[in-house]
Amino acid sequence: MNLKLAIFKPMLKLAMERTGHGAALGFELTRVGRGEVEMSFPYKEEVVGNPVTGVVHGGVIVSLLDTCCGCAAISVLKRPSVTPTMDLRLDYMHPAEPGQPIYVSAKVYRDTSNVIFCRGSAWQDDPENPIAHCVATFMRVDTPSISLGNVIRRRFKRLIHGDKAYEREADK
Amino acid sequence: MSIQLKELLTGLTSARAAGNPQSVLDLIPYSSFIGAQARLEQDGVLYWLDRRPSNIGNPSLPAIHGGVIGGFLELSAAIEILYTLDVNLVPKVVDFSLDYLRPGRYKTIYANCTVLRQGNKLVNVTATAWQDDIQTPIATARCHFLIS
Repeated sequence: MNLKLAIFKPMLKLAMERTGHGAALGFELTRVGRGEVEMSFPYKEEVVGNPVTGVVHGGVIVSLLDTCCGCAAISVLKRPSVTPTMDLRLDYMHPAEPGQPIYVSAKVYRDTSNVIFCRGSAWQDDPENPIAHCVATFMRVDTPSISLGNVIRRRFKRLIHGDKAYEREADK
Repeated sequence: MSIQLKELLTGLTSARAAGNPQSVLDLIPYSSFIGAQARLEQDGVLYWLDRRPSNIGNPSLPAIHGGVIGGFLELSAAIEILYTLDVNLVPKVVDFSLDYLRPGRYKTIYANCTVLRQGNKLVNVTATAWQDDIQTPIATARCHFLIS
């Protein structure tokens, strides 16, 4: 692993697993490589979408794949920044088995000066038999207001001061 | 936690009779996890999502998680089918396409849905999300559901 990834992985783990929606869902970043990221999600009853069968809601798969593809997109940047999602298209192949964890992987398959193209898939016991597949595109942006320093400062602020400080900042 | 199909159908019938889409949302655990709400307006059902820390994606902007916006729109589309169409099962999502138009800032998101086509098997629904102004949407989604 090169130096950039060695710093990048724990930072990404902190952001995705310890704050916001990723923390609420219990996401875990299991592998971070350049342009390739893997994550997992433990089954949670709170996010069931079909109360009759107990299958998790598609929104969880959307969050997982958006996060995973987004991390893969960030991982190919030369200078640290953020990559807003332009669009995301998902095909649901079959319902997730209730009570079982879900694994996702994402890969950047084309990286251009303005747009990063990713694809991802979600599976449970067999990667060859995915529950969902997606393609997503991300923008490259480079503005000082969303620089790496700002990202880290805000995240630490939130970890230290909790959500209250964060809400105050959002209200400004 | 799980309920019988019969209970679900009874819940749907009484929600339609009472003109209360919120009670359909209450049947689905994911909706309370993200905090989705709904009410009947003159021109259809209005869905909204109040801000909460567990829905934050990028704290540096700050922004609502893109996945939450997607999940909220997919949920709204499914509720739209359950509430407005005569279906007797939870619609099965087949595909979902989402365009992000603006960042979802850390405040309430509103959404409405339109059923574009209803066949015997397949329903096509579009959903639009906005914050300050319906004319400046933050995301649009299009999804197919199987209803048989």
